[in-house]
Amino acid sequence: MEKLTFKVQRYDPDKDKKPSMQVFTIPFRHGMTVLDGLIYIKENIDNTLSFRSSCRMGICGSCGMLINQLPMLACHTPIEELHSDKIEVKSLPNFPIIKDLVADLSPLFEKHKSIKPYIMTAAVAEEIEKPTAEFLQSQEHLEGFVQFAYCVKCGLCMAACPTVATDKHFLGPQPLAQACRYSLDKRDDGAKERFKQTDIPHGVWLCHLAGACSEACPKGVDPALAIQLLKRAMVADGFKLSKKKASPTVAAPLSEKKPKITVPEFTIKKPGAK
Amino acid sequence: MRETHFKSLQYLTGIGIFFLVGLHLLISHLSSGEPEAWSSVAKRAASAGWLTIYILILIFGIYHVMHGVRGIVLEFSLPPTAVKALNWAIIFIGVAIFGYAVYIPINAYMV
Repeated sequence: MEKLTFKVQRYDPDKDKKPSMQVFTIPFRHGMTVLDGLIYIKENIDNTLSFRSSCRMGICGSCGMLINQLPMLACHTPIEELHSDKIEVKSLPNFPIIKDLVADLSPLFEKHKSIKPYIMTAAVAEEIEKPTAEFLQSQEHLEGFVQFAYCVKCGLCMAACPTVATDKHFLGPQPLAQACRYSLDKRDDGAKERFKQTDIPHGVWLCHLAGACSEACPKGVDPALAIQLLKRAMVADGFKLSKKKASPTVAAPLSEKKPKITVPEFTIKKPGAK
Repeated sequence: MRETHFKSLQYLTGIGIFFLVGLHLLISHLSSGEPEAWSSVAKRAASAGWLTIYILILIFGIYHVMHGVRGIVLEFSLPPTAVKALNWAIIFIGVAIFGYAVYIPINAYMV
């Protein structure tokens, strides 16, 4: 491969009625990613090309795009792994387009906000108001949900989901996985409150377990598993089968928990010293 | 937890249909392996046990189908007011089908 053909989606809402594709030919460099290709186009061929990127290392989740018909992070996709010198790049499906490759992720953020993605606990409201120490959590308990906490909100799972594609009101894998993540958290007391948001006609029960979300996630999160865990928790709650969660335990203040370090006595004592 | 209860019933009726239709198939069609005289078929239909089974199959089947149809229609991004109208339409159609179809096992029982 010496040259790459980039077929890039262009769309300017002020001028265009619908998106069109523009072809760019760029030189190939060993190890380059799709994002590198787009940056090359912007810097050397057409500086009007718009796309979103930031960290370039798959952490920020900004550069989610549809690359050769699959939702991926452009910075996380080496061109060699695509096994083709023809690369088609479009903005993420299931989201409105702002310009060119920039998708409007606000529907994702709105839905994410609606499931209350934070620790809620009424039992220790005073502690939340005026914290004195951290809430305790065992390693075993953390492992139950930690993978769902790796979500970077890139929107790839929402773009891959066939149900989101047909029903724009469907909450979608990202918010549902986060509803699961917080509801499983031992420190959280707000599962019931969150279930009100997920137990709606366009909520968790509309998921068909297509698994496209888990396939698409660049961080290894398994939203399909989270949705099943959420369904299980909701059924248990709906039929009063769930065990009552114990109130989160606040760690003891440091002075009480850890004894003061004892200073070793000197081995040689001066005669007459106490 | 309305939707959770609806969906749980969907699963339970699915299991119910599997076992009850399986029972019907085994006893009515596969037990003897031979064609049965109409009088014995009519006699079976006239028993209270079979009447109960057929009505249960009807209830489970209608619930399962109508809730399934609701789920499919819901995916057309319906606004909340349309969802309400859909719910009532589904209930109305389901009850109407039940009212019409339940006549057959009851009639067979009465005969």
